[in-house]
Amino acid sequence: MHTMPNSIQSSESNPDIILDVRKLRTSFRIAGEWHAAVRDISFTLRRNETLALVGESGCGKSVTALSVLDLVPSQNGRIEAEQIQFNGRNLLGLSEDEMREIRGNRISMIFQEPMTALNPVLSVGHQVAEALLYHRDMNKEEANRAALELLDQVKIPSASSRFKEYPHQFSGGMRQRVMIAMALACRPDIILADEPTTALDVTIQSQILALLGELKRDTGMSLIFITHNLGVVASIADRVAVMYAGNIVEIADVDSLFAHPTHPYTEALMRSIPRSDRDTETLHSIPGQVPPISRMPDGCRFAARCDLARPICRKLDPALQQINAGSTHEVACWVRGDHDLTAIEDRANG
Amino acid sequence: MTEKSENMPAPLSSSALFQEQVKRTFRSNKLTGLGAVIFLLVLLAAVFAPLLSTHDPLIQNILDRLEGPSAQFWMGTDAYGRDIYSRLLYGARISLTIGGVAILSAMVIGTAIGIIAGYYGGKVDDVIMQFNDILLAFPTLILGLIVVAMLGPSMQNMIIAISLTSIPGFARIARAPTIVVRERDFIEACRALGYRDWRIMVFHILPNVTSEVLVMASLWLATAIRTEASLSFIGLGVKPPAATWGGMIREGFENILDNPWLSIFPGLAILLVVFSLNLLGDGLRDAIDPKTRVD
Repeated sequence: MHTMPNSIQSSESNPDIILDVRKLRTSFRIAGEWHAAVRDISFTLRRNETLALVGESGCGKSVTALSVLDLVPSQNGRIEAEQIQFNGRNLLGLSEDEMREIRGNRISMIFQEPMTALNPVLSVGHQVAEALLYHRDMNKEEANRAALELLDQVKIPSASSRFKEYPHQFSGGMRQRVMIAMALACRPDIILADEPTTALDVTIQSQILALLGELKRDTGMSLIFITHNLGVVASIADRVAVMYAGNIVEIADVDSLFAHPTHPYTEALMRSIPRSDRDTETLHSIPGQVPPISRMPDGCRFAARCDLARPICRKLDPALQQINAGSTHEVACWVRGDHDLTAIEDRANG
Repeated sequence: MTEKSENMPAPLSSSALFQEQVKRTFRSNKLTGLGAVIFLLVLLAAVFAPLLSTHDPLIQNILDRLEGPSAQFWMGTDAYGRDIYSRLLYGARISLTIGGVAILSAMVIGTAIGIIAGYYGGKVDDVIMQFNDILLAFPTLILGLIVVAMLGPSMQNMIIAISLTSIPGFARIARAPTIVVRERDFIEACRALGYRDWRIMVFHILPNVTSEVLVMASLWLATAIRTEASLSFIGLGVKPPAATWGGMIREGFENILDNPWLSIFPGLAILLVVFSLNLLGDGLRDAIDPKTRVD
């Protein structure tokens, strides 16, 4: 009944696909009960591709990234999935030691707050070199030299004289460059960037985006870019997955998404972007709020805030489906998707 | 780029912020500086005791017993005719060695325990800290007394006893900032870089904990020296005839009405060291405590 999303069908042993996540479900224990923060999401990432995960706070974007690296706290968090295939290898069965070989080495991460994501009592050069010392067979001098090259590569001015300086001597943008240098140190296949520009002001933001784009082009790495800012998405992403309350509700190439936003949530998000080229009296906002993780409704989770919602939306959860045959644009919506609604509603009622 | 190799970082420097604060404290707070200078002088006196002393601290000379301060015996002589000044210098060696080694080992062990408890949290934390609290419930002197009484009086056992009494305090002091630092983003970033737990604890949490620990070490060194003197005073310290400050006070006690300087000079020595370490420790504590810091 549910069509398989085409991203899954095409991924079988496709060497072009670096990361293939299927039915990832990450749950947290809240007051003794398990609640899914990410609910059976599937996506693929191609080599040298930038996939943006977009959605508002608490929709599961960051949890998705942490789940890929198995960094969800084990006492209160649980990761289940059909597979998390990285470079043809399923990360799910790996031991903690094997995962440590992947983290920071093959898949690394950039965090949102450059102010707190660097150790305040260690020099920045040291922190970049440490990643190399740890994962690479280098002595201290080689690691320091490579770290200096990395700081140059992320365009920190007079890097050699700033090598020994501490994070508090750097501005937010410069710190984020240091974070990028650390993530880049071992030439990973994938960088997970968790809102790397959110804490920065707009001019710095565009510099960091340009830098990431450049590094991606030069190194051939792939990027998963987590953000709630659609403007940022437009400037950096190749493909976009829109997340809402733990689900991917729409996934498409960036051009297709901006040209034909299909899911009512995506549409609403687009309308909430302030635009200078249009005369608007008020900024559109989406009525209602995201349901709390412990009280998720049945059916489509956006139904309560959706103008188009029909009875079926509150009963059954729609799966991702191509908007038309052969398209790479997929949406999870009963109304906007390619569904024979009357038949489904009849079946649901009968 | 290669000619820049002199710009390579020093290996794992400790907190630059702390160094900055310490410098500022010494500049603004004269008493802290005074404490540091006095303690340094005592330390030098202990190190160079053989050069500075005027007599052998152990040689008895019954003919010169119980003399008052004079040009020959700067601080007089005790009941066996031994030079008090020279005995004080050698006593400083014993007091500072016992205090220093005990506090140093307690600092290393206690900090490790505190960081492990704070980093892992949960049951590990519960078990360690419960045990820690039991040890903390004993007054330092009583606990030291029990240990020395069980092991027998000797320099080594004194060190073990004083060290044991100080470990729980260090564990507590190290645990608190660990719990704070553990939640910071850069620790998550370390995990995302694949670092092992021990590496995160040693290279990333420890440098954030050292300033608190070092301040307490200077304050507790004073306590340790006091404990050592107290144990020596009641005869549980290093065995005579070795010169210890606590032992000298006790020996002087027998003649305190006629020759009070026998106890006064070693008493003053203890006072001076404890006082200087407290000045130093208080100043350093103010330097790292944002509540008392004056900018």
